Amino acid sequence: MRTLEISNLHKEFVDAYTGQTVVAVGDVSFSIEQGEFVSVLGPSGCGKTTVLNIVAGFDTQTSGSVLVGGKQVDGPSPERGVVFQSFALFPWKTVLGNVTFGLRMRGVPRADREAVAHQYLELVGLQGFEAKYPHELSGGMQQRLGVARVLANEPEVMLMDEPFASVDAQTRRKLQEELTGIFETKRPTVFFVTHDVDEAVFLADRVVVLSSRPSQVAEIVTVPLERPRHWRSALDNPDFRHTVTYLTDLLAAGEPNADESEDAPETSAAAGAVGEG
Amino acid sequence: MTNITPSTSGAGQPHPKPGPPKARFRPWLVRMGENRVVRTFGPFVPVILLWWIIAELEVFPSAFFVGPGTVFEKFDELIAKGILPAYLGDSLERLFYGVLFGMLIGVPAGFIVAMSAWARKLTWPLLMFFQAIADIAWLPIVIVWFGFSLTAVTFVIVYTIVFPLMISIVSGVEQVPRDVVRAARSLGAGRLQVFTEVILPGALPAVATGIRTGLGYGWRALIAAEIIVGTSGVGFLMFDSRRAQEVTGVFVGMIVLGVLWFALDALVLAPFERRTIERWGMIRTAEAGR
Repeated sequence: MRTLEISNLHKEFVDAYTGQTVVAVGDVSFSIEQGEFVSVLGPSGCGKTTVLNIVAGFDTQTSGSVLVGGKQVDGPSPERGVVFQSFALFPWKTVLGNVTFGLRMRGVPRADREAVAHQYLELVGLQGFEAKYPHELSGGMQQRLGVARVLANEPEVMLMDEPFASVDAQTRRKLQEELTGIFETKRPTVFFVTHDVDEAVFLADRVVVLSSRPSQVAEIVTVPLERPRHWRSALDNPDFRHTVTYLTDLLAAGEPNADESEDAPETSAAAGAVGEG
Repeated sequence: MTNITPSTSGAGQPHPKPGPPKARFRPWLVRMGENRVVRTFGPFVPVILLWWIIAELEVFPSAFFVGPGTVFEKFDELIAKGILPAYLGDSLERLFYGVLFGMLIGVPAGFIVAMSAWARKLTWPLLMFFQAIADIAWLPIVIVWFGFSLTAVTFVIVYTIVFPLMISIVSGVEQVPRDVVRAARSLGAGRLQVFTEVILPGALPAVATGIRTGLGYGWRALIAAEIIVGTSGVGFLMFDSRRAQEVTGVFVGMIVLGVLWFALDALVLAPFERRTIERWGMIRTAEAGR
């Protein structure tokens, strides 16, 4: 069953200063199956966040359609919970208050929502922090709270907009591994936007590669990695490395100025990074 | 003298002397610094000392400048006669009503202007215009309208509080991060819930700043109004003393003003901010005591 179906999505906006019409999203179509993890990968400024914002209902498309659970997207909804790069937690609410927020908005009785909240806090490893405020947590813990807050709502699809881009490299690796673990136990449907090739491959079942502006789907790559996944074994896995190299080449080819310089240096740089990491 | 220093250090002693006294001195100072009372009132000690010295040296004639002792005696006398408590009560009552009505008008008006683009477009030029007319500039016409009454003074305080409060609320609402609002929406919050659950607490730091600024302006406007409208109050006390060529009363009034603001901050504003925005990590107050 298709949870998310994006067809011929097109978005234009008028630049406020120049008055010119800018095409942010050219023509994007792809779908996500229930319980599938899809990474959307693309160079920065390619409009991948715009696609996510349209799916979330924060923004509206110029043409094309987005169906979630068979229904046309119309404004934000708890069926499409979002994990933000900026965490976007409620600083005036405790950890528990943040996790129960969605359930409270939907009128779930207190006892029930607390039971659900505890379950998800345990899932992300935040049990015992219920009474803390977000600013008392580390960046990694804050984003785990961001994930728990969305999952507690049991959405049709969890939208993640470069969620680990603002934490340090080591924490990022840990969070990616934890997210994989959470995905493997709960099997939510995930739409994950990133510009980090390693991250896209490590987490996803399929990677949707967008070209640079006006964005189109360049290719959809299936990741040939078994679950459960761990960084330790993924980095030694030739399939992982090949997929990363392949995607890096694809992205480099999509760059406007990459044509004349061949892809060789880009490839070796990426391979070096993988071997190191 | 110059030889002594190298020779002592040249002796290669591990200087046991300078160490311990320093160690004993440091904690004592640190302990003093940790004391709330010392930290609050300590900075005033040199000021009062300087004041006392200047007065004792009789740099200025006593008709212009009096020492702490004289002022304290006058203070005592004014309390004993019941003048100061009565005047202070009057001033605080006016401030209370002014602030109460100012907030009752300013807080909702601020949020309406902040939330509605239409209301903002319609009122922003007016806000700017009326904010520019100084509070005291209203006094002449207010006195014509309301006479020398509590209403006149309250009007001026309300006026001074409403505009800074509204303007801080508008900027506070603008500063609520877009992603936080979006997060609430995508977790199922409706428009009203976004307002009560996100915009209101999110704008609280700005509201607190607005109240602080508004109160400060209101307090100043009150004293100015009392000086001009003058029937009672701390401002009147100061003006009346000046008329009687009595500098001591003016000094008493000035000190009372400072102390009152201090008390208001320490007893009302700071605890409120500590329990809300500071607890939530949204800002750190500049107040030293924490």
